Amino acid sequence: MAGERDVKRRIKSVENTRQITRTMELVATSKMKRATDRVHAARPYASGLQDIVRGLYSPGLADRYPILRRPEETKRAAVLLLTANRGLCGAFNSNLIRQARDLIDKLRADGIETELHIAGKKGVAYFRFRGEEMLTQRTDMSDTPTVEAAESLTGPIRDRFERGEVDAVYLVSSEFRSAMSTPPRTRELLPIEGDEGASSVDAYILSPSADGILEKILPAYVRNAVYTALVENAAAEQGARRTAMKNATDNAGDVLNHLTRTYNRARQAQITQEIAEIVGGSAALE
Amino acid sequence: MAGPLSVRVVSPDRIVFEGKAASLVAPAWDGKVGVLPRHAPMLTLVGSGELSIDRPGGGSDSFHVDGGVLKVERDQVTLLTEYADDRPA
Repeated sequence: MAGERDVKRRIKSVENTRQITRTMELVATSKMKRATDRVHAARPYASGLQDIVRGLYSPGLADRYPILRRPEETKRAAVLLLTANRGLCGAFNSNLIRQARDLIDKLRADGIETELHIAGKKGVAYFRFRGEEMLTQRTDMSDTPTVEAAESLTGPIRDRFERGEVDAVYLVSSEFRSAMSTPPRTRELLPIEGDEGASSVDAYILSPSADGILEKILPAYVRNAVYTALVENAAAEQGARRTAMKNATDNAGDVLNHLTRTYNRARQAQITQEIAEIVGGSAALE
Repeated sequence: MAGPLSVRVVSPDRIVFEGKAASLVAPAWDGKVGVLPRHAPMLTLVGSGELSIDRPGGGSDSFHVDGGVLKVERDQVTLLTEYADDRPA
């Protein structure tokens, strides 16, 4: 029989694979737990900062602060894409890359020069393969993002915006809705969206002044948007990996069932054949 | 009503302190600023230095904070700081 030994070898191999994917699933689950905690821990600061910026914003300030400038026409845009450093997480990276790709195509179709800033090995590898020029290529973002890492990523792009070298900055990253749902999302990082005329701090003692506070807070605000995106992205990556590895483990189980059945059938067929041969042989002797 | 202050000290990656306080002294950008219950609404930049929070029953907590902004509104005190640890400055 062609099958028996080959099937046995394949069963062994699938069992090994299942062992590995199950382990990766467990690792991703525990990493995701910690990453999710970080996502939740980052929210109070983000929402507090947003309240303050919204409260202080007034359209008149835009003329004085480069970071608040609202270009009348967007000539040049920057796209900041956050991907993972590692694969084996289903369509996580390809979804993000597709989202960025669509955005870039759309911007270029509108006649806007678009420059790329990529963090994460997977994104960098893709755009290098495509022969795209990247102004930032970062592959050193860890699973546990720090504020310093976010600053080092954001600072140069923010400076380019302030100097007027780009008129808009888009951030493409994963939104962490739940472990199962981590859709890619595009956000406009700069110019900062303010609620016009929503200034709610008139009754406040402001020290030094609304301008003085904004000058310090706005860079932190932009940086923190990237920091939260990094944290969410890390959690989403682990969530996607867990789902992918769970599917792989389940599939390996199905394949094993199928192979075991094939193996048993082949073994049965061989036994039947041997018996038939013995019976045939002894019948011939009589 | 001059109840205790509700204080929240938040850094980018965690809530450093959350609780009631009788008063607190924070390092503002241009010197220390004290906050007691019924303080007027205030928004000020925070410099680097020691934040000390006096608990209602006595005793106090102190933290080292660096940068950020302090907001006081109706006895709710929120300090968003870029960096904080438990070590006194």
